[in-house]
Amino acid sequence: MSLSERIDALLERVEKPVRYMGGEFGCVMKDPESVDVRYAFLFPDTYEVGMSHLGMKILYHTINAREDAWCERVFSPWVDMAALMRAEHVPLFSLESRTPVREFDLLGITLQYEMSFTNILEALDLAGIPLRREERDSGPFVICGGPCAFNPEPLAPFVDFFVLGDGEVSTHQTIDAYRQWKASGLPRAEYLRMVAKIPGVYVPSLYDVAYNADGTIASIAPKEGSGAPEMVYKALVNDLTHADYPEKLIVPYGEVVHNRIMLEIFRGCTRGCRFCQAGMIYRPVRERSMDRLLELAEKLVRATGYDEISLMSLSSGDYSCLPELAREMVRRYAGRRVKISLPSQRIDNVLTDTLKETQKVRKTALTLAPEAGTQRLRDVINKGVTEEDLVRSVTDAFEQGWSAVKLYFMLGLPTETDEDVLGIAHLADVVRSCYLSLPKEKRAPGLRITVSASVFVPKNFTPFQWAAQLGNDEVVRRQQLLKRELSKIKGVDFKYHAMDLSYIEAVFARGDRRLADVLERAWRLGCRFDGWSDQFRYDLWKRAFVDCGLDPGFYATRERPEDEIFPWEHLDAGVSKEFLLREWKKAQSAERTQDCRKGCVGCGMRRYEGACR
Amino acid sequence: MRTLLRFGKNSRLRFVSHLDLQRFFQRALNRTGLPIAFSQGFNPHAVMSFASALAVGWTSEYEILDVKLAAPMGRGRVEEAMRAALPEDLPVLGVRMVDDRFPAAMSLVRCADYRIIPEGTDAAAILAAVEPYLAAEHVMGVRKTKSGEREIDLRPLTLSLAARDGSLYARLMLTERDTLKPDVLLAGLAGLAGVQVPRVHVHRLCLLGENAAGELSPLMELKNA
Repeated sequence: MSLSERIDALLERVEKPVRYMGGEFGCVMKDPESVDVRYAFLFPDTYEVGMSHLGMKILYHTINAREDAWCERVFSPWVDMAALMRAEHVPLFSLESRTPVREFDLLGITLQYEMSFTNILEALDLAGIPLRREERDSGPFVICGGPCAFNPEPLAPFVDFFVLGDGEVSTHQTIDAYRQWKASGLPRAEYLRMVAKIPGVYVPSLYDVAYNADGTIASIAPKEGSGAPEMVYKALVNDLTHADYPEKLIVPYGEVVHNRIMLEIFRGCTRGCRFCQAGMIYRPVRERSMDRLLELAEKLVRATGYDEISLMSLSSGDYSCLPELAREMVRRYAGRRVKISLPSQRIDNVLTDTLKETQKVRKTALTLAPEAGTQRLRDVINKGVTEEDLVRSVTDAFEQGWSAVKLYFMLGLPTETDEDVLGIAHLADVVRSCYLSLPKEKRAPGLRITVSASVFVPKNFTPFQWAAQLGNDEVVRRQQLLKRELSKIKGVDFKYHAMDLSYIEAVFARGDRRLADVLERAWRLGCRFDGWSDQFRYDLWKRAFVDCGLDPGFYATRERPEDEIFPWEHLDAGVSKEFLLREWKKAQSAERTQDCRKGCVGCGMRRYEGACR
Repeated sequence: MRTLLRFGKNSRLRFVSHLDLQRFFQRALNRTGLPIAFSQGFNPHAVMSFASALAVGWTSEYEILDVKLAAPMGRGRVEEAMRAALPEDLPVLGVRMVDDRFPAAMSLVRCADYRIIPEGTDAAAILAAVEPYLAAEHVMGVRKTKSGEREIDLRPLTLSLAARDGSLYARLMLTERDTLKPDVLLAGLAGLAGVQVPRVHVHRLCLLGENAAGELSPLMELKNA
């Protein structure tokens, strides 16, 4: 039986066969004989999650635009499928051509969140690829990119190289280098030396790490004669208007998380929220021109038949021509039944205009993220939002006919006190009062307020990379305190979670190379799909730490001294360490830093050529 | 004006559910750029319906989508646009333009032709059961519906049945009141043969309707309905 037939036989027996089916409208098929490089792109989560990811769409498109390469998709098989694949000896395969992943030249993996790391080991194992780089003498090179590549060390022994920063250009450079290397006939290690010269590429095997007796890092340095740079600077695409962007998309059959056209209007964020890793590592802000966006929108609507366009970015309200763009898109598409949506709204924008525009076609819950309950704590995290901003935004929204508001907060932020926790309930009450203060005939019926409080996870390359995560007992106490206080307010729904998952996330978010053993151990014990609360096994994780003799608290709940050498000390995400340290100190005295649109704050991006005008 | 689109569902897509296929066609019709008629209301959608839902896991070369157009269009133009909007595993196999007064494709379906391939060691026994099945006056079986299970006589719902080259060829009733699905037929044959119901591959060959003279005809060719 052919592999394809053997896969077919499994599909009869799994929960959602559409996940493994391929053949969607818009997927790219090529003749394998006509290309030099076969590139497998793995999103280490389910099909529904991965197919909603913009980065994958961009890289799939840009690789397949080359005649010499074919990029195919791979997703993590759900646990039912993985078990069947093992039992029936079916290796991990690509969706397009159903080729075993181990037969590809390059395997690119996107690291979107730490809790997908065990899925990477699971995928390598299902593919029949030895987990550890040193055990591999053939098969694809394993490449990781995405935001978590900025803290690559826990994955270092499993990965051939990481690509930091924007992938539109660096991906092509790694493919070009691969062709050169393949033609040269030189040993595998030589390809790694070649890519180490590409901006943004970090080859962990070319660096030595030394530790102090207390477990902190003594030094990280390139190996003698390796030619690897002492500092790896992220890859940066300065001009998004002319950067490659898909003009057609794969249209899935089953429902996926975001089943619509995603139009990235800009990359980066100028706000400088101190907890936000994306806001730091995606700097500087780079906008796509309005003309280009309108051109892309039209091509994508025609090519896909989608009836919704989502204007994507970290803070879409900050797009310099947002009212004009929204108005023009509504004008063009309202008659063609295409809705325009704006995720990631911020409450300090003058939203009214935009709200009016988008409302014509769509009205969902208004989502706002004050993040912290008091002005003092919002100043600590540099979230430039005041209670008045919130009042204005929700009052506007209620007047426009909204009646559902979702408020997002974090618990356990540095310097948080009970007063800050209770301040969250106060804000929920303020939102309720705004609604009630409107005359009945002027507001939509059925007020719904959802307060969602996640547990703060300190991330590297943010000003809070020195901060300790709050311990479990104290998190539980503050959750209960808030729960009691919110129960006094009518019509508020409170959402919060056990912190086990945030704790493990915090460990890996600032982890070092030694954690690779814990990761492998946890996976061998049965951990996978850790981001799915129904799959997450805290008991197994705890055992893995014990088995490996490492203390998770060392990584998660320990405040770092200012002079500590970080596991990512040899990597440069654009923002300088001096800037981050300055911000960390300002945070402790609740001192704000302005939005850099209003004047340069010296974050370090100017060290990159052409980055900040 | 309406268009009846005949399309196939190839093996690769056999797990796409009817609901997902409906959503898929909403988007596919948007892609055609044709003047599709849309429903009124808060969430407008293309006015379209399938002649008959195909079960998950089955393949077909005779699915029909009935689409309403807002303006008259030539058949060639519609066919070309449909071909461009559908992937190769949902091939366009025919296009017919009909008047708005033509009955909805769904209401015309009387019966369907299937090719059913039983697999495994009991396949021969199933094929051999065709003869006693046809000779029997009644073969009882269970039809599952949304409202529960109901005992039915399969025999009058089986318009024809033959075994040929390892396959069963069956023409089975397919109306709201009288329906015989291939899996229920299989259960009946397995009962007669005294074997377990085997794994089968079901492929729909044709959907048929009845003309004014009471003769059966493939839906795409049906005249004087």
